[in-house]
Parts: sequence; C-alpha cells; structure tokens
Amino acid sequence: MKNRLRELRDRHAWSQGDLAEQLEVSRQTVNAIETGKYDPSLPLAFRIAKLFRMNIESIFEPGKE
Amino acid sequence: MRRAVTAYRRQIFLLMAVYIGLMWLVWPHVHTATSLPLKVALALVPLVPMSAALWLIVMDVVGGDELQQRVHLIALSIATGVTCAASFMAGVLCAAGVLVLGGDDLMWVLPATALIYAAANWVVGRRYGGLGCS
Repeated sequence: MKNRLRELRDRHAWSQGDLAEQLEVSRQTVNAIETGKYDPSLPLAFRIAKLFRMNIESIFEPGKE
Repeated sequence: MRRAVTAYRRQIFLLMAVYIGLMWLVWPHVHTATSLPLKVALALVPLVPMSAALWLIVMDVVGGDELQQRVHLIALSIATGVTCAASFMAGVLCAAGVLVLGGDDLMWVLPATALIYAAANWVVGRRYGGLGCS
C-alpha cells in the first residue's frame, strides 16, 4: 500500500519522532509506515487521517497486491 | 520513549544477573540440602527474578504499539514453535531410548525459548526497519 505520510509530515516540518508522539506510536512504526514496510491498522489510519484533517483514501492508496 | 527502553533493558539485565547469580550460588546447595522444605525453597528461588523478568516482558508487549506487538507475536510464535518441536523431538527420542534426558535438561527449555525469541524479535524487527527487541 502506498501512502503520502512522508510528504505530509514534511509539509508540517515534523520529525518522525514528532509524528510518532502525536499518533502515540513508536518512531520506528512511523518509519515502517512511511517506507511501506508496514500497513497500519484501520484505527491508526483513521488517527493519521484525523491528524492531517484528510480522508484515509487521500493518504493511503492500495498498491498491487 | 528511548529512556523507557533503556530503563527496561537495565531492569531486564539486572534481573538476569540476579538469576545467574542465584543459579551459581544457590543451585549447588539444592542437591546437598537435607530438609525437603529447604530443598524446595532453594530450587524455586531462581523463579523469583525469572518471574519478575517475564512480568516486565509482558508489560513491555502490552505497552507497545500495534507494530511492536506484531513483531513480538511473530517472534513468540517462532520461539514457541521451535522450542515445542525440539522438546517433542527430544521427548520422542527419550521415550524410544535413543536419548537419555534428566530433569536438569528441562531447565534449558525456558532459556532456549528466550534466546530464540530474542533472535527472532531482532530478525523480524529488522524486516520492519529495525525495531529489534527492546
């Protein structure tokens, strides 16, 4: 699954640690999501979307499975 | 969060050091103790730091985020599977009279599980970008 987390984080000038703190996850989890190594759960995806005030589908898009 | 991880590691290492110290100092006296209650107490004393360490690990898993819990779960599945398979194989070979195992050998099951778990945790963590085991 592709995502725009890195782009959105950069836009807010947040570090991975800053974002992790706001999402109440570890910095490694943010890194894993950004690099596409981990797809977040639905609740976490909703938290990300809420934080950036966007829809989930405008942050995450399904890749080729 | 890094400070919490450091504190957690320090506590685990301290408990493991206490465990090793107890095994070193107390365990030799288990065989020579004459009274049964003393023998039981000496034999079970190492369980105190071991239980405390297990409790800390459980608290670490419970307090982790979803990816950390996933890594722990995969690592635990691998460690449990490998240890169960090895124990079963040893048990079958023992029952067949090929292998001779004593009660002392059972003491290696938990350390073996812990070592495989730590290794699996590190490997699986690296797959997700280096979570490793805390």
